[in-house]
Amino acid sequence: MSEITSDSGVMAALRQQMTLAAARQAVAASNLANVNTPGYRAREADFEQTLDGKLGDPLTLTNPRHLPAAEPSGPASHEAAGLAARLDGNNVQIDRELLSMTQAAGEFARAQTALAAKFRLVRYAINEAR
Amino acid sequence: MSTLGSAVRAGASALAAERMRIEVAVSNLANAESTRGPDGQPYKRRDVVLQTTTVQDFDNSLGRATAVGVEVAAVVEDQGPARRRFEPSHPDADKDGYVTLPNVDPAEEMVDMLGAARAYQANLTAIGLIRDLVQRALDLGRG
Amino acid sequence: MTIDALKGRIPSGLPKVGGGDAATTPAGAGFSDALGRVVDAVESTESQANTAVSGMLSGTTDVHDAMIALQRADLTLQFSVQIRNRLVQAYNEIMRMPI
Repeated sequence: MSEITSDSGVMAALRQQMTLAAARQAVAASNLANVNTPGYRAREADFEQTLDGKLGDPLTLTNPRHLPAAEPSGPASHEAAGLAARLDGNNVQIDRELLSMTQAAGEFARAQTALAAKFRLVRYAINEAR
Repeated sequence: MSTLGSAVRAGASALAAERMRIEVAVSNLANAESTRGPDGQPYKRRDVVLQTTTVQDFDNSLGRATAVGVEVAAVVEDQGPARRRFEPSHPDADKDGYVTLPNVDPAEEMVDMLGAARAYQANLTAIGLIRDLVQRALDLGRG
Repeated sequence: MTIDALKGRIPSGLPKVGGGDAATTPAGAGFSDALGRVVDAVESTESQANTAVSGMLSGTTDVHDAMIALQRADLTLQFSVQIRNRLVQAYNEIMRMPI
């Protein structure tokens, strides 16, 4: 019951997973949209920062550093390392971003499935344990 | 800004921008041999300048991951040197027999066009993928 | 709405056990506390759900966050209804006991 009324435990962890996966999608989408923008550098989501437990409710986060406008905003993204730039200074690789999106989509879907199952379980427990 | 929503917006912005690049490349190719336009001058190659869209400060302060898109900053004329070809029989040949042709390199235009098409396709795929995720998120609210 | 429906089923007077003031007797306080906690939980999750849904509609909140808030509110309400039923049941049993 407490897991339902307060955002904690397995439910919160699954919710966090979905939020992180969505953030990864946003970063990858930014990269893909700017694959032909001169000078644009590919970014990737920051996982370390999000796993140290500091992120409770993403809704209450504030951006610690005001990012320049030409980058995806949000608490956890950094410039991706090790990508060779082309002549126009752009280092986005389409396949790499699409792969990242596919993986993040899988994580999102898995977390959603688990969450939905948990809701069903709790609902059953509530209604059957009369 | 909803994270996934902004990602779809970013993808959509790319579709528009890459379409523009393809159109301009096609126009360049079509006019590659145009020695005299409506103003009497040879066609000048056109270029699409892309830039990343800026994120609203409001979204920044919310601290949510928000995707950035792309936009066409301008379509400019390439001021590079025109081509000259020796063809005295051409009606637009100058007194030395040379014709001034547009500074269009067909091979380069094809490369640009293919790059734009590939980017278009990738962003289309991305949009579809994200739409599916939004649907799954909505499914959480059911039953 | 549903909060009032919850409260409506519990008689306003709590049982007098042992002749003392209803609110201060252990049994009376127990019922009151339990119901209070339950109502608080329902109000809290419901207001969170409202915030989340308007956030989703205005584009500030992610869809999954809003859906989770909705489910939490719904499950909390359902659970509270069950608790209420049992409280009423227990209350009625106590009232049926011959003094």
